Amino acid sequence: MSVVVFAVLSSFIASAVEFVEALTVVLAVGVTRQWRSTLLGAGTALVVLAALVAVLGLTIATFVPIETLRLVVGAVLIVFGLQWLTTAILRAGGARASRNEVANFGRQLASLAKEPPMPSTGMDWISFTVAFKGVLLEGLEIAFIVVTFGAAGGQLVPALIGAGLAGILVIGVGAAVRRPLARLPENQMKFGVGLMLVSFGTFWAGEGIGIAWPGSDMAILLLLAGYLLTSLLAVRTVAAALVRQAEQSPIRARQEAN
Amino acid sequence: MRYAIAFGRFWYDFLIGDRPELFIGPIAGLALVALLIQAGWSAASGLLLVGLVVASGGLGLARELTAVRVRSER
Repeated sequence: MSVVVFAVLSSFIASAVEFVEALTVVLAVGVTRQWRSTLLGAGTALVVLAALVAVLGLTIATFVPIETLRLVVGAVLIVFGLQWLTTAILRAGGARASRNEVANFGRQLASLAKEPPMPSTGMDWISFTVAFKGVLLEGLEIAFIVVTFGAAGGQLVPALIGAGLAGILVIGVGAAVRRPLARLPENQMKFGVGLMLVSFGTFWAGEGIGIAWPGSDMAILLLLAGYLLTSLLAVRTVAAALVRQAEQSPIRARQEAN
Repeated sequence: MRYAIAFGRFWYDFLIGDRPELFIGPIAGLALVALLIQAGWSAASGLLLVGLVVASGGLGLARELTAVRVRSER
């Protein structure tokens, strides 16, 4: 039960984060160039991603032995989850700037302004390509999470449901407001997904190398709680380290000397 | 060949990028714990794995903080 809920939650939150980033690209192209070609590019990327998930997910789950699968997928989930989690910790602690969708939207607009003018009739291949590339690149992370959860945990359908719901929600809100979704608590979402990926990754990779977790599946909750506490402590430590660095910085030392 | 290199580079950036410690740490940790289990030291192997994962993340954070300090000192 807990694995199903976490599969839906993880893929929903991770997909929402990535869909918001893809939406920024699609909106920028659509607003400045041509909606038809942009939507065709984004739609084609979604079809490619769906095919990738179906082929990879089913092939891996059918042909790779479950122990090997859990070890490999678990290891990859730990690596991937640590990247998300440490980035979120650094942002929460103030060591890295938070992602700003409005600024990213502005950068996209500036970059598109340098492109050749749009053809007066027919397909605008620049709109198609930029939207296709943006959605495909952001979507690969979604596909990756869906495939890994689907294959290692036998939760392909719940993971797909989570990703699908996130897609419907983000695309729906994006279509309604027609501007980047800057108010989303992106860092908190990244923090949560990072925690889940690292917890599941540790659990599955551990099983793959022969660790007998106490309480079986319930150990995932313990891992989650342990990583959550450690991560919250890490946020405080990063923030405190930055304060210390600021107090010891040469600029401040010079100011105090003057 | 060009596509193979591009494919390899994509996966390198995707999984390793500019923070190799977040890749090497957990993989080395898993290898170490697997070896210990094979040698019959399975007690607290789960805790050891968690500790090594946390240490890898901690190393990544420490490296980033050092980079922030170096940038602010320039």
